[in-house]
Amino acid sequence: MVQINLPKDSQVKKGKYFKDKTGSKNLRKVNIYRWDPSDGENPRIDSYEVDMDNCPSKVLDILNKIKNEIDPTLAYRRSCAHGVCGSCAMNMGGKNGLACTTPHEEIDGDIDIYPLPHLKVKKDLIGDLDGLYKQYQSIEPWLKTNSKSQTNEIIQSKEERAKLDGAYECIMCACCSTSCPSYWWNGDKYLGPAVLLQAYRWIVDSRDEERKARLKKVADELKLYRCHTIMNCTSACPKGLNPAKAIAEIKKMLATANI
Amino acid sequence: MENKKPLSPHIQIYRWHISSLVSISHRITGIINIIAITLICLWVSLISISESNYETINLLLNSKFGKFIILGLTWSFSFQILSEIRHLIMDLGYGFELYITKITGLVVILGSIILTIAFYLIGKNFI
Repeated sequence: MVQINLPKDSQVKKGKYFKDKTGSKNLRKVNIYRWDPSDGENPRIDSYEVDMDNCPSKVLDILNKIKNEIDPTLAYRRSCAHGVCGSCAMNMGGKNGLACTTPHEEIDGDIDIYPLPHLKVKKDLIGDLDGLYKQYQSIEPWLKTNSKSQTNEIIQSKEERAKLDGAYECIMCACCSTSCPSYWWNGDKYLGPAVLLQAYRWIVDSRDEERKARLKKVADELKLYRCHTIMNCTSACPKGLNPAKAIAEIKKMLATANI
Repeated sequence: MENKKPLSPHIQIYRWHISSLVSISHRITGIINIIAITLICLWVSLISISESNYETINLLLNSKFGKFIILGLTWSFSFQILSEIRHLIMDLGYGFELYITKITGLVVILGSIILTIAFYLIGKNFI
């Protein structure tokens, strides 16, 4: 259901202010969403003054700097720092992206950092993605073939392989799904752009023999047709993919009975 | 003891862009138009009942407030039509590149204003 306001226990309060101690002239204010599961308080926004003269170019560098030099209690996920693993997905300057590939120069004014939108928060910038993973599992993201000969290689032409371009690169960072208002309001039933892009990836795979069953499975008022081409997903995708177009292609296959 | 996990902020913090604005406006104008069409039906049925109804409603529509409402509805219908055409094109699978959605979104917004002005001028000069 559409719920514009946050529940009472989720409303964000003003938090601590960490003044700069380095004496640097090149400062930026960074506002970060904090929530500590152990103290029973509401979430808060802590503000940090960060010395930009000694900070590399990405938002993740700011977070590392804060954790290393200012406030070690800050919690966030990160791993590869190269835009490959998808761990550091968060909302920066009002837009979802990977902290490790988003330059802080692109954000005007104060840098506001929140966890991915409309998720249950585990701590600070860490959102609970279990629901999304369950949905991902529900589309059975693996090759299904009923062919008897399991020892032979399944040949795929270059053209057939090209159909997977723009779909297989997805790193499941959840930037797209958590940017989607439809997913916010119907996230329990609507599969969301990330999972539908993966559903599409298996539907168009020439080696897969369950195409019909896969299409039938997603052809559902709530699972698929909650997409209203708001385009938040495509504009958020840090890998430059287009989930909205993949969803449109699935709808088109169903509408033209191209099954 | 574990606390209830809070919900992270969503619509409060997410930045708007042209496509999301057009999408939400499409919904809002859709609701307005349904109400408007119902009222227009009511108007027609009231006219068919008696002549005094016609005059009262005419007076209302010719007031400043009435004109504002008519102009507003002209915009909301123009917007809805253009945005629906955009949706139809997208249903065919075209126009999903980010820069194209920006252009078509702008065409819808500017087009709806231009159409409103055009209808206003046509109504003023020819009817």
